Amino acid sequence: MNVGDKLILKKNNVSDFFYSLQEQMQLIAPKQRFAGDVVFDLVNSPDEIVWEYGHDIYPPGKRYLFPHYEDMFSYRQGEQIAIDVAADVPRQAIVGIRSCDVTAVRFQERFFSSPIVDPFYKTRSDNTVLFSLVCNEPPKKDCFCICCDAGPYLESGFDVQLTDLGDRFLYEIGSEKGLDVSEPREKYLEASTEQDIAERKRIELHADSLFQTASYIAKAIIYITSDEVPDEVWEELGSTCFRCAACTNLCPICTCYTVDDRPEPDGSFTRCRSWDSCQYAGFTREASGHNPRPTFGSRVKRRFYHKASFQYIMRDGRHGCVGCGRCVSSCLTKLDLPSVVKRIRRAMHDYIEPISKPTAFLE
Amino acid sequence: MNDKPTTCGFCSCGCALYVEPRKSGLGISGLCPSTTHPVSTGRLCIKGWNATTSLIRVDRLQTPLVRKGNELQPASWEEALSVTADVLKRVISTSGSEAVGVIGSAKTTNEECYSLVKFARAVLRTPNIDGACRFYDASLIPALIDTIGIPASQIGVEQLAEAGSMLIAGANVMEQLAHIGSRIQDAVENGCKVVAVDPRKSRLAPQAGLFLHPKPGSDLTWVRALLKTILDRKLYVDAAPQMPGFEELRASLDDVVIGVLPQVCGIEPEAVVEAATILAENEPCVVMFGLGVLQQQDSTILVKALANVALLLGGYVMPLRGQNNAQGACDMGVLKDYLPGYEPISSVETRAKWESAWQCAINPQAGLSAIEMVQGGVKALLVFGENVALSAPNTEQTISALEKLDFLAVSDLYLTETAQLADVVFPACSFLEKDGTFTNIGRRVQRVRRVIDPIGESKSDLEVIVGLASAFGKEMATDPSAVMKEIAATVPLYANFSYEQFETGWGEPWRASTPTPRLAPIHATDLPPEEPDYPYQLLASRINFHTQTGTMSARCGILTREYPESVVEINPSDAEKLKLRPGRVVRVSSKTGSLTRRLAVSDAVPQGCVHVPHYFGGDSANMLAGYECDSISGVPVYKGLPVKIEAVS
Ligand code: SF4
Ligand code: SF4
Ligand code: SF4
Repeated sequence: MNVGDKLILKKNNVSDFFYSLQEQMQLIAPKQRFAGDVVFDLVNSPDEIVWEYGHDIYPPGKRYLFPHYEDMFSYRQGEQIAIDVAADVPRQAIVGIRSCDVTAVRFQERFFSSPIVDPFYKTRSDNTVLFSLVCNEPPKKDCFCICCDAGPYLESGFDVQLTDLGDRFLYEIGSEKGLDVSEPREKYLEASTEQDIAERKRIELHADSLFQTASYIAKAIIYITSDEVPDEVWEELGSTCFRCAACTNLCPICTCYTVDDRPEPDGSFTRCRSWDSCQYAGFTREASGHNPRPTFGSRVKRRFYHKASFQYIMRDGRHGCVGCGRCVSSCLTKLDLPSVVKRIRRAMHDYIEPISKPTAFLE
Repeated sequence: MNDKPTTCGFCSCGCALYVEPRKSGLGISGLCPSTTHPVSTGRLCIKGWNATTSLIRVDRLQTPLVRKGNELQPASWEEALSVTADVLKRVISTSGSEAVGVIGSAKTTNEECYSLVKFARAVLRTPNIDGACRFYDASLIPALIDTIGIPASQIGVEQLAEAGSMLIAGANVMEQLAHIGSRIQDAVENGCKVVAVDPRKSRLAPQAGLFLHPKPGSDLTWVRALLKTILDRKLYVDAAPQMPGFEELRASLDDVVIGVLPQVCGIEPEAVVEAATILAENEPCVVMFGLGVLQQQDSTILVKALANVALLLGGYVMPLRGQNNAQGACDMGVLKDYLPGYEPISSVETRAKWESAWQCAINPQAGLSAIEMVQGGVKALLVFGENVALSAPNTEQTISALEKLDFLAVSDLYLTETAQLADVVFPACSFLEKDGTFTNIGRRVQRVRRVIDPIGESKSDLEVIVGLASAFGKEMATDPSAVMKEIAATVPLYANFSYEQFETGWGEPWRASTPTPRLAPIHATDLPPEEPDYPYQLLASRINFHTQTGTMSARCGILTREYPESVVEINPSDAEKLKLRPGRVVRVSSKTGSLTRRLAVSDAVPQGCVHVPHYFGGDSANMLAGYECDSISGVPVYKGLPVKIEAVS
């Protein structure tokens, strides 16, 4: 068995395969919740995995490698300050994760390891194997990974990639980690045929033709990088924002966090990090009260600079969007990436007066 | 992650979310909205995303507290309950049950609200039971019962996007109720026309096709003009003239003179005509109003007038109530003048029904309102989940009246300003720690589920109520599902609900059995007199980041960082006139009180007005209000108060 192998996992072996994997590590997979909601979660048995699940709004890769609230260490005040590093990081396989999210995990891994290695992220990511699942068709109308080179299937970046071929999965091994979990389970895997590969090809072409959302980000990258977008456009966009920060919370690429010390009942303190957002005024407010990004518009501008300006593309190796569509579905207004890119393009051709001047608020 | 979703307890939208408790210790490790829930639809507001952390903290009350000497000291539940029961028994035997008062919350569950009403009326036998809604929005109850027939929204959040037009008066809705704000944006994108009315330019501006900025206190004048225009120009639906009250309404508007609008309201008559036309031509119209309307001198009449607009145009009414269970608490009868299901206490048949349901005699007297109770109208007061010291008007006097009570017991999450004055404090559970139901702004009754264990020795209000009842020798149901069974059996609005049914989906709106709408006559009322010593008018609004008195939200890191300090805002031209620079500490005073804040200037605030964001922890705009109330509903007047502003040296 080698990295690069394309094997077959028959559906009637799937359950046994994952039962056997579960002996080695915990399984995180799409799970049926209340009233039709499907959210990734720890599964007790592989039979709970909902293989035909569509898409989870709560990005599993981000959530299990860089949780919303994460304990870093605890300490006690007193004569001697003792620091205990939180090290409760189980081995885990995230099964059924989509291509866009795998791409985002690779982005975050790169971010959290350069130039300084973030030990919390690293421990989690070292302990995690990604079994990605190809989208035979884009599960949501909001998906636009095809414009971001992040899906609906992957050429690389996965540990194992599964493609649903009806009664079987095409089982591709993409990394050493993937190889390590596959080798001991050889008995469940078999060689693929030319037919299987042809079927996979057909699925790819079919999936590619089904996308409903397009984001012509290339042009926006140029306008944003050269700072050509008029501030009025950013302010007009910002005037409708609700500051919920779902756009950054649920973005599988966004990495910003804040840190605070939480008092515990036993008198110790836990240093906890939690997701933060450039969409909050407090994110950049200085101690003096001055805020370099004082308006909604300036903060929306900031977000899109980070998503699409060339300086970050140079640093991060790609632009900061994988096209998963979560900013579309989670935004209380319409400040998602495709809409903003569209608005910018329109503005550059035929500048439209802002609907209204933003109101001056505290920030 | 917890397998079951719960309902967010930070506003009346009622989003469903999954909360994942931390593996050990206090706190959560994550949360996400439900995608299939009709309101949350995969989205939450800034409070939903962040505020749960403010509930799970070490500074939560861990044990009951009992005052010994001058100090509140930790005590056992047994002691706290028996001290309370003993005092109540003594007060009742010496001064009668009318000397006891109970104030309920608009945040606790329906089961808790219902049980509290039952405890007050059937066990304590006091007529003095009222809810926190008296401080906020109770004026809509008599007004809407008399007009649309139900004291609630006629439509759900999920239907708003289909509105053809909207009249939105006196509500900072984009800040306060994010999901409604979001649906307003959706509606506008679908072609809906919004007529916004607010003295201040709010974040509704980008959505508003027409934004009217009337002078504070002049609302009845422009609404009457609007009604008159609809009638005179026959803009109403065909069915309107058959509606009861049509002729009386028309007659009551005979004295309307459109020409006074510029002088009284600062609005051009053409703008009112335009508003009437927009609303009539774009069906269906939804009439929404918030605290700006609900806390005025003549709120009840004003709400009736706005409901008339909806009725004449064949539209819908949606009162913008803020608190997560404002609707349910009222449905359950946490009201001085109604039994559960809005059955009037004054009716003999109603009392007979409840006397047989509860096996007791019900005190037929009209009870005191929450405002009257906090002024010292009772000797012993029980307060559940409302920081009355800050949410009641006239803060200084209220606090001293609370201090003078013979006995005060408070159930809350934290040692609030009210709890600090109490003789007994019960540590309450948050919504994350208990089972029950909330009713959202669209009347949707939905499950709240326990996702973490109670913090410290805290208990749900239901357990406290049952404990107190048993000290009086009365058995009450402890299991929320059993309480819901009783509610379903006794309150017709809730007849269809059961916990089994809640397991199959996201609950349902309660259905009123075909109410008959009627138009109410809207007579002119006197404008408030000018106060030369207090030349400015107070505007108070809600903000995005905080709810209520800040007991919860001011304890959330992200939210307080977003809004660390409440300011006073005035128009730049007024700042110039007063020679006050932004950043300066100023004192705003009224006849009753004053508060000190830093000054900010904003074009959004009209000249002659002072804007103070409402309900921010510690010192609240309520300091400035007196005990003057809307005469019908007893809701205090917070809006448009005459104030003055000066520098603090
Ligand atoms: S964005 Fe692409 S990879 Fe992600 S779920 Fe949609 S189709 Fe699949
Ligand atoms: S999700 Fe939308 S509304 Fe919320 S902060 Fe982001 S842009 Fe603003
Ligand atoms: S809109 Fe209301 S119910 Fe929804 S998350 Fe925000 S506070 Fe909670």
